[in-house]
Amino acid sequence: MEKNGDLIVRTEHLTKCFGKLVAVDDLNLEVHKGEVFGFLGPNGSGKSTTMGMMLGLIAPTSGTVELFGLNIQNYLSKILQRIGAITESIGFYPYLSGRDNLKYIARITGGISSSRIKEVLELVELSGREKDKFSNYSLGMKQRLAIACALLNDPEFVVLDEPTNGLDPAGMKEIRELIIRLGQEGKTIFLNSHLLHEVEQVCKRVAIIKQGKVITQGLVKDLMKKGDTLQIKVNEPEKAMTVLKNINWITSIVREDDKLLIGVKADKYAEISAVLAKESIFVTEMRAKENTLEEFFLEMTEERIND
Amino acid sequence: MIEMIRAELFKLRKRNMTWIMVIVLAAFFCLMFFAIYGVTSSPPDRMPGEAVDAIRASLQFPDAFNMIFSTAGTIGTLLLIILVASSIGNEYGWGTVRQVLTRRGIRYYFVISKLVSFIIIAVIGLLISVIIGFILALITSNLIGSINWDFMTASYIGGLFEKFGWTLFSLLPYILLATFFAFLGRSAIAGIGGGLGFYFIEAIAVGIFNQAGGWLAKIPDYLIGPNVDALMPSSLFTHGPFASAGTLPSTLNASLTLAVYCVVFIVISLYMFKKRDITA
Repeated sequence: MEKNGDLIVRTEHLTKCFGKLVAVDDLNLEVHKGEVFGFLGPNGSGKSTTMGMMLGLIAPTSGTVELFGLNIQNYLSKILQRIGAITESIGFYPYLSGRDNLKYIARITGGISSSRIKEVLELVELSGREKDKFSNYSLGMKQRLAIACALLNDPEFVVLDEPTNGLDPAGMKEIRELIIRLGQEGKTIFLNSHLLHEVEQVCKRVAIIKQGKVITQGLVKDLMKKGDTLQIKVNEPEKAMTVLKNINWITSIVREDDKLLIGVKADKYAEISAVLAKESIFVTEMRAKENTLEEFFLEMTEERIND
Repeated sequence: MIEMIRAELFKLRKRNMTWIMVIVLAAFFCLMFFAIYGVTSSPPDRMPGEAVDAIRASLQFPDAFNMIFSTAGTIGTLLLIILVASSIGNEYGWGTVRQVLTRRGIRYYFVISKLVSFIIIAVIGLLISVIIGFILALITSNLIGSINWDFMTASYIGGLFEKFGWTLFSLLPYILLATFFAFLGRSAIAGIGGGLGFYFIEAIAVGIFNQAGGWLAKIPDYLIGPNVDALMPSSLFTHGPFASAGTLPSTLNASLTLAVYCVVFIVISLYMFKKRDITA
């Protein structure tokens, strides 16, 4: 039944319409085994709808979702046994304690021992507060419980929708480390987060979605290098700017303190050095400028992000 | 499925609301028995002697059993509508429906496990009602006079089981009605409002139809309330809100009509829950 053991998620022409609104439009996505995959996009871009379709909560209008090589419409129950998920809104019973909430989930999942419940509570450092009612938990504690719940069945594939919501910087760091550790353990992670710095640190590959369509996807390191910007330091920046402005294959030139950011293709770097040397301007530092994921994201989506 | 039912019962047991409902049930029984006893111990002057005797008899065995079952049916219906609707509706409000469905994708498991656990709760509630009612009837019977247990034959005990069964069956349409409204509105308020609204508006409608006569007077035969009344043991005081409903339908008509309502509510609830996207 499993067509390709290496492929954990594959969506083909996945589309979801709510009335006239096309929330997800012909989405083709692939996530490979052991990958920490970032799924990014502005608010309302269709991320949660895509996740909903992956988890069987939302029925696609057209197209298919395959997880572990199995079609989700035919093998949902079987697939869910291998998945752990945190959805957009954290859903627990407010009148039950943290431990009882996990106990309930363990019962409906089946095959989960009470020692595993204890183990995941320790993992997210909720052991001391496990008997407190969920309604008395802080937002950060609720988030930790959600993570514990997602890991309860020791899943092969973990879907995380904004897992660091409500956590303080120390908590965010812990979760970041946990995600990295899970990835190292061979688990496949599908991470949806607005915190691009976090995604940059933990994800190997990302896809950016806008208005329901994937506008780009690839390795984080490749995406961050995509910009053709050369950063140089020279002894006479003003003079260098005047010289470079007259060269037609330079697309832009910006001065940032003592640095010049030059829009130019990589094969012209040596030529720039030669042109400046001819004018007795000496380059003291020269390197291709790397975009941050945030810069790249903003460039792609042309939207501001509210963290 | 059995694990899901166990998990559902675990939740209901841990919920304060369930225990508050038991307290309300007990309080209602106490109020009924002692208020009626109060009336019989110092009846108003204008109340005929036969009426006072009939009221006294309803507090003594064996008539007290009818009082117990009809009281349980009336208060049980109202409490179950609230419990069922809040149990389903809050799954949406708390976002737990997503949590459950990302664990067990088979949606009808979710609905069926809830329904089975509600029926188990109804059985337990009915048993508690019988125990509380029995104790109260022992007290009032002793206050009024001595108890003669000669009526307690094997066939009478069999009859009590039958009454228990009919009372339970009469609760089912309302459990499913509240289920239907809670799924329809995806909230506890919709379930409670729809369930209780239907219960009371139907009572008014039945009264109007009966007054109207002609073919309109036939309509109540196919509504829930009069059919529930037809199956419930009759009591002087608690015969649901439909006590004035004229001629009640036959037992066969009542059983079939209520069974049809049950099936329709289950099928629509399952269909709605299966087809709808869980977006929030």
